[in-house]
This record gives sequence, C-alpha cells and structure tokens, in this order.
Amino acid sequence: MRHFLVMCLFGALASVVFGAMAKDTPRERWLYGLKVFAQFTVIGLALAWLLYFIPW
Amino acid sequence: MVKSERLHADDVEPTPSSAWLVGVAAWFIPGSGHLMLKKWGRAALMGGVVWFAFIVGLAMGGHLFDLTGGPGSSALLQVPPMIADIGSGVLYTVCWFLGYGFADDPTQAARATYEYGTNFLLIAGLLNYLTMLDAFDIAAGRHS
Repeated sequence: MRHFLVMCLFGALASVVFGAMAKDTPRERWLYGLKVFAQFTVIGLALAWLLYFIPW
Repeated sequence: MVKSERLHADDVEPTPSSAWLVGVAAWFIPGSGHLMLKKWGRAALMGGVVWFAFIVGLAMGGHLFDLTGGPGSSALLQVPPMIADIGSGVLYTVCWFLGYGFADDPTQAARATYEYGTNFLLIAGLLNYLTMLDAFDIAAGRHS
C-alpha cells in the first residue's frame, strides 16, 4: 500500500505542474491536471501488474 | 526567401533581457521566477511542488548524482541523472556544498524508500526545468 501511495504522490506532484502550465483557463487546468494524474496512476498500475506476471 | 517567410521572420520579437534573468532566477531558486512576475499562485504551486519533492526525496534517503562515480561505474552514466538533479538549482548546490545525499552508502541504498527518494529528487529537478520554462515564456510575453 505504501508503494501505491508514493506512486500517487509522485503522480500528483507531476500533474500539478503539468496542469498549471498547460492550458488557459482554471477549469481546463484542473481537468488536464486530473487527467494527467489519472493517467499516471492507471498506467503505473497496469505496468506493475504486467511486470508482476513476467518471470525475470 | 519567399514573402510569407520574410513576414514570419519579421513577426518574431526579440526576447527581452529580463526574461533571461527571470529564467535564471527560476532555475536557481524554484518558484522565484514566478514571484518576480508577481504570479503568486503559480509561484506557490509550482515552486512548492519542486521544494516539496526535493525535501521528500532527501527524507526518503534518495541519492543525488554528480560526476564522481563509484568503483566500476562510468562517470558518463552519471551525466543524465546529474542534469536532472541540477535542475533543482540552489537545493542541489547546497547539498553539493554540504556533501549531503551524494554518498554511495550501502546502508542508505538498503532503505526501502531509497529508489523512491532518488526518483523524487530527479523529478524535482525536471519539474523545475518546466517551471523555469513557464516563467521564461511568461516574461517573454509568449504565455500568460
């Protein structure tokens, strides 16, 4: 669980900066920041499960 | 040069020297570029993220990179992460002067949060590069 929370914190920090500098209106910035955060989280989880099943 | 290209070249305004100053300040002290532009919210948000990520990274026992590789490691391999770390500006510089975070200490590397901390330190520098470019663009009038 700690790994997931740290990953979420990582995604949140990055998405704050991406969202703040990307769009024009505050509403667009919020939406873009949330979208980037969701992408970080979902793709991170997907990659984690993918790597879990790969026997190194 | 065709007419349209000539017109386009004439449209490009020179970058004001103050924009370069803002860019350098934004790199050296995270958030200061936006402060100079009186963008208080952005300064707190974007600069705060960089400071927070760096401090959390250090608290997790992360490793900062420089060109002094340990035995068996190439100095060239240290260059890309070092460039990312240098993005933190004064935070990296202070740690470098104090020698804090650069040691190849096995007990530090054994910590569960070591890799996370190293990545937080890297992302702090990279996000500060973005913050710096944002402040520079605002100062140059290319972005609001």
